[in-house]
Amino acid sequence: MRGLSIKDKVLCFPSGHGSTVGSYVLYSLVKKGYGPKAIVNQVADTVVVVGAIIAEIPMVDQIDINKVTTGDTVEVDGDKGTVRIEG
Amino acid sequence: MHLTKLEERTLEGEHGWANQIAMKILVKLGDLFGATKLIPVQSAHLSGVSYKHMGDGAIEFLNELADKGGRAQIQATLNPSSFDPEYLVKRYTKERFGKQERILASYGKMMIQPTLTCTPYYIQKPQAGQHLAWAESSAVVYANSVLKAWTNREGSPSALAAAIIGKTPNYGLHQAENRKPNALVKIEARMKTETDYGILGIHLGKLLKDKAPNLVGLQGSDDELKQLGAAMASSGMTAIFHTMAHRGKEKLESFSVEAKDMKEAAASLNTSDQNPDLVFVGCPHCSEREIKAIANLLRGRKVRKDLEMWVCTSRHVKERRQNYVDTIERAGAHVLCDTCVLVSWIKDLGFNTVMTNSAKTAFYAPTLNDAEARLAPLKKCIQTASNP
Repeated sequence: MRGLSIKDKVLCFPSGHGSTVGSYVLYSLVKKGYGPKAIVNQVADTVVVVGAIIAEIPMVDQIDINKVTTGDTVEVDGDKGTVRIEG
Repeated sequence: MHLTKLEERTLEGEHGWANQIAMKILVKLGDLFGATKLIPVQSAHLSGVSYKHMGDGAIEFLNELADKGGRAQIQATLNPSSFDPEYLVKRYTKERFGKQERILASYGKMMIQPTLTCTPYYIQKPQAGQHLAWAESSAVVYANSVLKAWTNREGSPSALAAAIIGKTPNYGLHQAENRKPNALVKIEARMKTETDYGILGIHLGKLLKDKAPNLVGLQGSDDELKQLGAAMASSGMTAIFHTMAHRGKEKLESFSVEAKDMKEAAASLNTSDQNPDLVFVGCPHCSEREIKAIANLLRGRKVRKDLEMWVCTSRHVKERRQNYVDTIERAGAHVLCDTCVLVSWIKDLGFNTVMTNSAKTAFYAPTLNDAEARLAPLKKCIQTASNP
């Protein structure tokens, strides 16, 4: 993914990993206007969950992200925890 | 997770943005890890203090949280910072100084005590069975294993959230059944020095990942077990260990540690045979007993001119043992409070090879400090650092 922009995209990836600083990176991206519109994870982890909360990014987990291909239109409802893939 | 009416209202934002964010963090993590409710905690201890490990996003977030009313409801303490105000501060740029000061100012506004130590248990010792929300992995293992208090291994934001709300979700090590040993380890190798306990910890952390082992019948002083736990939590995700003499009735996965395992682990922690330019003791921060031991070994000796010796501890311990601190400083070593090697920029100060008695520092120095590591017990560190 190196070099790709996630600005205003729905960011889908299996799971997060790493240190606390990762949470703050998400916050920083949003404050600078480069944050994703939403995050979809297969398995949620502490770093991404906390990052999404402090950056106020809608996040849904427990989604089979193999069903999503880069470029798909995806609708995320962070409150209900649902994801609709429109292809 | 079940929330009280008051908690619900905080979650909906009735008590302001900072409380809402803090509550969201606790509730979401609680849901993720199967908590049933929030429980009060006695204290919170926060990592995420040194600017070296934080980045600018964190500064902005802490600033916003403090500005929008985030305040600690319970005793909350801070991990070490990237410099001390007496010695290292003079050797860094204005920019780094300014950023570090902003972090400390935000925590200050949130009523979090600037203890700046990884050993908050020397300032106020938690009681057995008390629930805590502590970050700083070495303190977490010490609290659970030596002091028998109950805490999960928090990250910096979740410990901060617990400080602001005064509670933590009741999953993981807040449940008695999760604290029981789930692996047995027989230590066949002989433990001679505090450094051996650290080497053992590095080996066990890799071997056991996040298990809760019973290191059957292992004996060690509190300071030796501090080295063991700090090292286990560095190479693994350990948060608790036991040292019970009996193996228990349940059949558990079993391991043994032989002299050759220790030798291998020790070799991985010695990345160089160069002479050190920095000799460092105090990871985790020295106890009063350790300060005394260092003073007694250094008495009548002089630190060599071609290297520096740092002894890191908390302000609290330093003030209580000022006579020993004077002895150490007369010998030419620096007793530094509020900081340590791992969270400061030693490479920029010209240090390339660190000799230490701490396996945790030896484990991290090559990556966090871009420095070579040499691991040796306290006596050898002092013999290397000083002449009669």
